[in-house]
Amino acid sequence: MNEQYAALIIAVPLISAFFVPVIKAISKKAVMPFLLLVTILQMGIAGWVFSEVYTSGKPIIVMAGGWRPPVGINLYIGHFAALFVLIIAVISFFTAYFSMKAVKVEPLDKYAMLFLLLMLGATGMIATGDIFNLFVFMEITAITAYALTAYNKTGEAAEASMKYMILGGVGSSFFLIGIALIYGATGTLNMAQLAQLAGSINPTVAQVGLALLIFGLAVEAELFPLNAWAPDAYQAAPHPITVMFSAFVVKAGLYAAARLLYLMQAVSTWGSVLKLLVIMAVLTVVVAEFSALRQRDVKRMIAYSSISQVGMIAFALALGSQAGVDAGVFHMVNHAIVKALLFLGVGYVGVKLGGTKLEDFEGLGRRMPLTAFAITVGSLSAVGIPLFNIFWSKVRIMLAGVSAGYTWGVALILGASVVEAVYYLRLIHRIWFAGEGERLSESFALGAIMLLLVALILVIGFYPNYAWSLAQKAGADIFDVTKYIGNVPLMGVGA
Amino acid sequence: MISISVYYFGAISLILIGLYAVLVKKNLLKMLIGLSIMETGVNLLLISVGYISGRSAPILSEGIGPTQAVDPIPQALVLTAIVIGVATTAMALSVAIIIYEKYGTLNVEEIRRLRG
Repeated sequence: MNEQYAALIIAVPLISAFFVPVIKAISKKAVMPFLLLVTILQMGIAGWVFSEVYTSGKPIIVMAGGWRPPVGINLYIGHFAALFVLIIAVISFFTAYFSMKAVKVEPLDKYAMLFLLLMLGATGMIATGDIFNLFVFMEITAITAYALTAYNKTGEAAEASMKYMILGGVGSSFFLIGIALIYGATGTLNMAQLAQLAGSINPTVAQVGLALLIFGLAVEAELFPLNAWAPDAYQAAPHPITVMFSAFVVKAGLYAAARLLYLMQAVSTWGSVLKLLVIMAVLTVVVAEFSALRQRDVKRMIAYSSISQVGMIAFALALGSQAGVDAGVFHMVNHAIVKALLFLGVGYVGVKLGGTKLEDFEGLGRRMPLTAFAITVGSLSAVGIPLFNIFWSKVRIMLAGVSAGYTWGVALILGASVVEAVYYLRLIHRIWFAGEGERLSESFALGAIMLLLVALILVIGFYPNYAWSLAQKAGADIFDVTKYIGNVPLMGVGA
Repeated sequence: MISISVYYFGAISLILIGLYAVLVKKNLLKMLIGLSIMETGVNLLLISVGYISGRSAPILSEGIGPTQAVDPIPQALVLTAIVIGVATTAMALSVAIIIYEKYGTLNVEEIRRLRG
């Protein structure tokens, strides 16, 4: 099959999103099954792209309109993008199914449309090979995320959405200023050509431009001090959307930041941007863990925990070493699995019991044993207990951090992890050893999804080697910029 | 002939005015206006990056070839950025309406149900 068909990972969700009103006109009941169908289709395409990239070992370069870059805009689906497009598609399928159970607020057709566009935006951010195209996909992701945050139409939802919008608006303006500086200095927007030219531009311009780009992306990537919107949005958004935010929207922002960072590594002032990012990442971890400790709402608590894990990923990606990037990517994969499981479980509790306060979780072990079991496994994994998947990636991040000379950062993160253990164990204690309750019936299919994610956690926990080898390939895709430039068939203009 | 730096100063002062409004103002609508001013400043900055003194708009017409026109790419970027800005502003204003309905105020210091 022709590799150019890989453009379908962008085209299918986009076309389907615009078909939603048509489906609604035929039958209102068909909207949610249609959504499920599209995510299954997307999963199929992503699976094909994944097997294609990992068997041939070469990235797929999709050229829009047949124009070679840098004249045409290209998609670059390397090892990282292939892996994450698949993760996005699978998680979207789970959340689409969960949405059928959990989302009752009308208008469902708008929900389905925004859902597809959010999936499209995150996929595009990961697959694109052009910085302005990255900006457009970032804005698609952001605007749909604003709308979905406000979807429940309560005061809290509107407030969270407004906070997100103001921070996001400032962030995207900074991102555009960064683009203006970099375009002014190099005359190109193509990532591969940018990497070629990076060494020849004025280091101060490059430094400021790169810092502005990272600053703009930090809103999506939930890095301190631009993450004030995140806990509110996670708490106020519909339960399935929270799963998507934590599992892949934030990852798309992190990946874009890391990609831009490593593209510009020929710049002589590169090290100072890395240091800035390391400091932001460590502060993210520490602030988020201590904020999580005093939360009374479990969804908000796990949101803070998610932010702290994201800080850890950013720390690993900012180390500037191959080992750090590999560990960061490994942690991204593990975090996507664990947080998808936790938010699914907590969201399902919210749907069944009508709230996600800490008190609602008392006696959950008796009322919803399957969900309680899933949340317990997810919590233990998030804390980093050995033989669960996050343990391995955390250890690798710590080792990479020490060998890169950031012992103080590692020490602070480890200290914050102790805090994490405290509040997760408190939750587990509430679930199994407090309160009483009648047994409620649990959805079979949702239980199966949660058990599948639990099985993944345990399999990676016991046999981390296969997942680690995937992460190493994906990490090399980000880190090895000479190979990245070599893979893109640039037309001989400018450079 | 006006020096190109006039445009840069204009663009950057617009950005700073917008940022000031977002950071300091208490009224939600004023913050959103600030956001719009900031976006305008950024668009002006992008246009100035591609401006070449004495050349015309990059529209292919009689007597104007590729050598007489300014850089077209920033203009294409700004068109996209304007559309995105309109979408964000429309979205923000509709959320502001919901906030006013639920809270009865647009003062950001009073819109604080989500804490912690």
